Amino acid sequence: MSAKAKKINGRAETILSIEDISLSFGGVQAIRNVSFNIKKREILAIIGPNGAGKTSMLNVINGFYHPQKGTITYKGEKCHDMRPHLAATQGIARTFQNVALFKGMSTLDNIMSGRALKMKQNVFWQMIYYGPAQKEELEHREFVERIIDFLEIQHIRRIPVGKLAYGLQKRVELGRALAAEPDLLLLDEPMAGMNSEEKEDMSRFVLDVNEELGTTIALIEHDMGVVMDLSDRIIVLNYGQKIADGTPDQVRNNAEVIDAYLGVKYD
Amino acid sequence: MEMLYAIFAAPFIDMFSDPVFFAEVVINGLLTGIMYSLVALGFVLIFKASGVFNFAQGAMVLFAPLTLVGLMEQGVPVILALIITAAVMVLLAFLIEKFMLRHLINQEGIVLFMATIGLNFLLEGAGQIAWGSNVKKLDVGIPDQSFEWGGILLNTFDIAAAVIAAILVAVLAVFFNKTRIGRALRAVADDHQAALSVGIPLRTIWIIVWSVSGIVALVAGIMWGTKSGVQFSLTLIALKALPVLILGGFTSIPGAIVGGLIIGMGEKIAEIYWGPLFGGAIENWFAYMLALVVLLFRPQGLFGERIIERV
Repeated sequence: MSAKAKKINGRAETILSIEDISLSFGGVQAIRNVSFNIKKREILAIIGPNGAGKTSMLNVINGFYHPQKGTITYKGEKCHDMRPHLAATQGIARTFQNVALFKGMSTLDNIMSGRALKMKQNVFWQMIYYGPAQKEELEHREFVERIIDFLEIQHIRRIPVGKLAYGLQKRVELGRALAAEPDLLLLDEPMAGMNSEEKEDMSRFVLDVNEELGTTIALIEHDMGVVMDLSDRIIVLNYGQKIADGTPDQVRNNAEVIDAYLGVKYD
Repeated sequence: MEMLYAIFAAPFIDMFSDPVFFAEVVINGLLTGIMYSLVALGFVLIFKASGVFNFAQGAMVLFAPLTLVGLMEQGVPVILALIITAAVMVLLAFLIEKFMLRHLINQEGIVLFMATIGLNFLLEGAGQIAWGSNVKKLDVGIPDQSFEWGGILLNTFDIAAAVIAAILVAVLAVFFNKTRIGRALRAVADDHQAALSVGIPLRTIWIIVWSVSGIVALVAGIMWGTKSGVQFSLTLIALKALPVLILGGFTSIPGAIVGGLIIGMGEKIAEIYWGPLFGGAIENWFAYMLALVVLLFRPQGLFGERIIERV
């Protein structure tokens, strides 16, 4: 267990807790009675075979899906289900498995759109681009430029994202999520389809975000090397059920996990 | 040789030999064009916000003035009738969001398009059930007189329509280009789920857009309705908006305006100077020809966003 993980478990402050969630689509049970916590400032990985309910779980957390059963407690507030708009307002940002960017817009505009909720100025003032509205726009622009620097995507600032390579699109998507200054960041396969160099870059960004900004991160990923290196804690889902929950060390030695997903013991 | 002369030389010689008449043709063309723009604008707004071509726009251009005339026939004063009709269009936007769009979040564009076809029939039917299908005369009190200005024959109503359209367009252009709602709109059009995840309230945006689009339909409907009577054929004006959209680009408000002006002016000039060569009435198909040519060389229109898809 790393020093940071110890610290987190020691404090054990929970930002989000999922209790006894069940979700089904018609006759298909996607998630069965799953409970777990996400602790403040940790990196939590959700792994499992395809169709295990990982993405469904993220969709429940940010309110795209509404579970039939169970409760979600976010920042101490208990509710039956989330709503996407509310989730975003309360500091949950996310990326998607199949990059969901605004393809016709430039990198800059995409990331600016992540600040949609931070813009408070009256629409009327924005129309004439005057006074406080102008100041606000500039402030947001500055913040966005910092994100662009951080993600090292200065050179593609003005390019419509539809034109970019896949790896870069994923980076822009992360940028958009970061623009909302989230407390909880959900990443759905942030490294899918990347080469090893791009994966290293992305891992570095995820770690930096976690350490420097103190953002709590929950991510889904299939690359076990990345998962074991990045995460403080891992949850394993299989057929919609939670079969393991623990540190990377505990999980990689768990017989049931090896059986269901890893196939071999992963070192 | 004679044919070439008739196509490439004679019309231009005519234009230069009578510049005042040419100016009259151009100005009247532009004035008609701005009315096309007004109809096209309704399409652009909804296309920008949902990536959907709203087939029901034509029906809205009929439904709005039909409601207005219906109210005025009941003895409601013009101003009050206008306000009530605008309110009806906003209410319509709420209903469309609640019963149609809300259930189609994150569906393919074609699914939403099909839904608007349904909406089209519903509105056409509902409007006529409520207010009857006779041709109705609409007069909201804008003077309709011809006058001469520097030898050019003009009409006060056309001028008023152009001014109203210009104001409407200016306000909308600034609203959608300068405000956060503008950026939110483009985001919603691109990807519903992603828009939701950054906290853009999809439903609110849809209600805003459909309301604005309904009110634009009302203005367009009043203008056309006053000119040609409020009747079923108003829905067909939407067809004229199609080449305007192709020319200007489906996503551009300035594009809708410039597109409308070019089409309006182009078809008048073509009709007057080239029409006799083809036996007249080329006004009816000139716009579509122009649209075809644009499609060949610039499929995104003159001002549209270029969509790049990686395959």
